[in-house]
Amino acid sequence: MHNLLAFFRRFRIFLLFVLLQVFALSTYFTYLSFPRSQYLTSASIISSSILEVKNSFTRYWNLGENNKALQAENIRLRNKIKGSFIRLERPIVKIEDTLFRQQYDYIPSLVINSSTNKRNNFFTLNVGELQGVKRGMGVFSDRGVVGVIHTTSKHYSVLKSVLTEHINIDVIIEKTGAFGLLKWDGRDSKFGTITGISNDMILEKGTRVVTRGGSTIFPKGLLVGFVEKYKQIEGKPLWDVTIRFSEDYRSIQNVYVIKNLLKEEQDKLENTIPEDKDNE
Amino acid sequence: MNNIAVHIFRFLIFVLIQSLVLNSLEIGLGIQLMIYPLFIVLLPFETSLPILLLVAFVMGFSIDSISNTFGLHTSSLLVVAYLRPFVFNMFSPRDGYDPLKEASIFEMGQRWFISVFGILILIQHLWFFTLEMFNISETLYVLQKTMLSAPLSFLLCILLQVIFVSKPKER
Repeated sequence: MHNLLAFFRRFRIFLLFVLLQVFALSTYFTYLSFPRSQYLTSASIISSSILEVKNSFTRYWNLGENNKALQAENIRLRNKIKGSFIRLERPIVKIEDTLFRQQYDYIPSLVINSSTNKRNNFFTLNVGELQGVKRGMGVFSDRGVVGVIHTTSKHYSVLKSVLTEHINIDVIIEKTGAFGLLKWDGRDSKFGTITGISNDMILEKGTRVVTRGGSTIFPKGLLVGFVEKYKQIEGKPLWDVTIRFSEDYRSIQNVYVIKNLLKEEQDKLENTIPEDKDNE
Repeated sequence: MNNIAVHIFRFLIFVLIQSLVLNSLEIGLGIQLMIYPLFIVLLPFETSLPILLLVAFVMGFSIDSISNTFGLHTSSLLVVAYLRPFVFNMFSPRDGYDPLKEASIFEMGQRWFISVFGILILIQHLWFFTLEMFNISETLYVLQKTMLSAPLSFLLCILLQVIFVSKPKER
């Protein structure tokens, strides 16, 4: 006992160092996979208000480009609603359509903090639980997919962007119909990779890559990017596909959070599938 | 002396510059500038190690919470704080450190500062990028990032001292 105490006294500074170090590293590695609280993220009140001030200065830098993108989207949407130019005499009645039902609701939001130079890049959004944002919701912008909500607080949320190691979004290459998982190798924020595409599929440069829509996170057909190049993986019957992201993550600003109204129903249904015991 | 006030002011400046400006710069080639080790080095010579560690922890924590890195900066700054006394001892002047002096490039001389701060910033960058990648197959990329970022951070730190740290008065 005496020796033990002497040991602690002798190495107390080193133990303090190890203790703090373990704390920092454990938060780092647990946050990457599953967040427990918001203290160390920019969803906390102090850091998000600092970021809000920062954003009030920096949001003007890409204003022209962002306005153009929004305008393009407006025109595209406006073309779709030609019918709404006819003015109706009586007040509009809400039509209960039994053939179509709205599945996705969108929450508009602003990216107030973002980075593209780290291995795992997390963005901060200025919407939170009060606006109905929950962990696991998808986020996209008018130019492409952005990421998945990671942590939320009352007024803010942190989003795990496409530019992280384990983003794994289900994507599909149009025309061919081949699907794989979207990954990012941490080098260049303009390019991502798709894994799991069998090399007997015929690919073409410049083909659109869109979300597959199988999971409850993203609707089908959301643009991700374009096929830039592809080459054979040595020793495996797979293509190594590089895509160019359609979104420029360095100047990202206006995004939409996707609220899937039928998510609970689908999850409930899929949870009734019995676990496969043969794989163990 | 209002030395503590000076250090608190520096603390805020370093945290804000690092998390708001430098962490959102994208230079390319994997370069990321980190200047906050300079703050730990500039703390007074007689600061004890536990205090150094605690200050480093708080500083890393604030940078991490603003820039969504969840503990990466904290971890690497703790390493700098822990190694500081050892590196200082290695390059200690013949008659020890003068507690009235500061560990800046003006007061301790260029040769001392380049060797001490050079070692510390190299270790810090290497630790940071290794943890960030956490993959043996990316070793070359980690080295590339370290070798490109550390000299640039070093130059930036010298520049910061020219601007913010006052030169010693003639005695």
